[in-house]
Amino acid sequence: MKKINIRFKVNGRQADLTIAPNKRLLDVLRDDLGLTGTKEGCDIGECGACTVVLNGQAVHSCLILAAQANGAEIITVEGLTQNGELHPLQKNFLEYGAVQCGFCIPGMLLSSYALLNENPNPREDDIKEAIAGNLCRCTGYKQIIQAVEAAANESNE
Amino acid sequence: MIPEIGYIRPRNLHEALEALGASRETVRVIAGGTDIIPGFHINSRRFRDIQTLVDISGLPDLTFVNLENDGLHIGGAVTFTDIVKNPLIREKYPLLAQAASQVGSVQIRNRATIVGNFVNNAPCADSVPPLLVYDAVIKIQSTRSEKTLPLEDFLLKPYKTQLQPDEIVSEIVLPPLKKEYRGEFYKLGRRRSVAISRITLAVLVKLEDLVIEDIRIASGAVTPIGMRFRELEEFSKGKTAEIDFLKELSVKLGEEIMKITGLRWSSAYKLPVVQQMFYLLLRRVCNR
Ligand code: FES
Ligand code: FES
Repeated sequence: MKKINIRFKVNGRQADLTIAPNKRLLDVLRDDLGLTGTKEGCDIGECGACTVVLNGQAVHSCLILAAQANGAEIITVEGLTQNGELHPLQKNFLEYGAVQCGFCIPGMLLSSYALLNENPNPREDDIKEAIAGNLCRCTGYKQIIQAVEAAANESNE
Repeated sequence: MIPEIGYIRPRNLHEALEALGASRETVRVIAGGTDIIPGFHINSRRFRDIQTLVDISGLPDLTFVNLENDGLHIGGAVTFTDIVKNPLIREKYPLLAQAASQVGSVQIRNRATIVGNFVNNAPCADSVPPLLVYDAVIKIQSTRSEKTLPLEDFLLKPYKTQLQPDEIVSEIVLPPLKKEYRGEFYKLGRRRSVAISRITLAVLVKLEDLVIEDIRIASGAVTPIGMRFRELEEFSKGKTAEIDFLKELSVKLGEEIMKITGLRWSSAYKLPVVQQMFYLLLRRVCNR
């Protein structure tokens, strides 16, 4: 299989890679770049565990070929922390007990992150819609929604 | 696993068409990839022969939404999110915006394209019933030809369309619609979000005093592919939109669907829902 060259920005850092075209963005993030915060769940676009932000939009990294992300700006959960300081979303997920096993959380955080960037004052329904594609088998969602609301309020203060 | 494939990223539509036309390999277009990639994973027969993918996602030539004299033009790589957010579509073709907003999840809508939805021609393609009631016409291009045809003719049977291997659906055109038309869309899935449709219905009605001057009816998921009900439409024209008639029409739609699909284990559940929901939609659009 002919390899191809791609380059994109992940969490602000340029990445140049030579990859096989059948690699998904998820594979490249986890295996080539070591960013294992992004999780692999269903592989078919149903669980949201693999969610990253690509050019400002929440997307499934399991459904995108890495080659399709050429030239893009990507944010993974590793990029939410700034200068060692947790992102307000992360702080509030902890605060509200929104994390149990944690497997869904990177995806939840990035879906919420994309939402708040676009809509800093989301209603509860907006939050529910934003995370509708993120399954959580532990928390029951309530604390997650509260945490996103709290993070929005904090950033608006 | 994704099989070993080649990947081409054209810079414009012309290059994309050349890539499709020139190769002797099995070349297929990929846009959002939300059908192809899971299809690879489950080793779906529909995608097994693909050797090279031509990526048209985000291609500037194909991501426009323009209002022109002959209607609204939607480019071949426009995503569901683009549709949901477009003020022109929300205002003039609200059933399409409504259907688009219920597709998959935010993550899916950000990638999946409306053209991909019907090129794939799954029975449950949510955008098809609204497109059909809006009389959507599509433009198909290849290096050899360019043609336009009604979407209704393009869709042949489940997972089968008229698209040839070297062709791309470059745009959808929704003809202008008179203001007097009122419409409703309904989707039933097994759950509220990220749901595959079990039933979709779309209806557009134009009343003149209480008389049905024009009506367009389409279904998806309950029928093998999205389709219009021309006979019922003809039957309804000129009738008065009274409760009794709306009931009669709803019963007939159910019967019509049963004729097409035959009796299934799910019929006892779906038939009453189709009839009841269609009746409610009719009452809403006719203000009865
Ligand atoms: S792993 Fe991507 S949606 Fe489940
Ligand atoms: S915390 Fe366990 S799946 Fe969400």
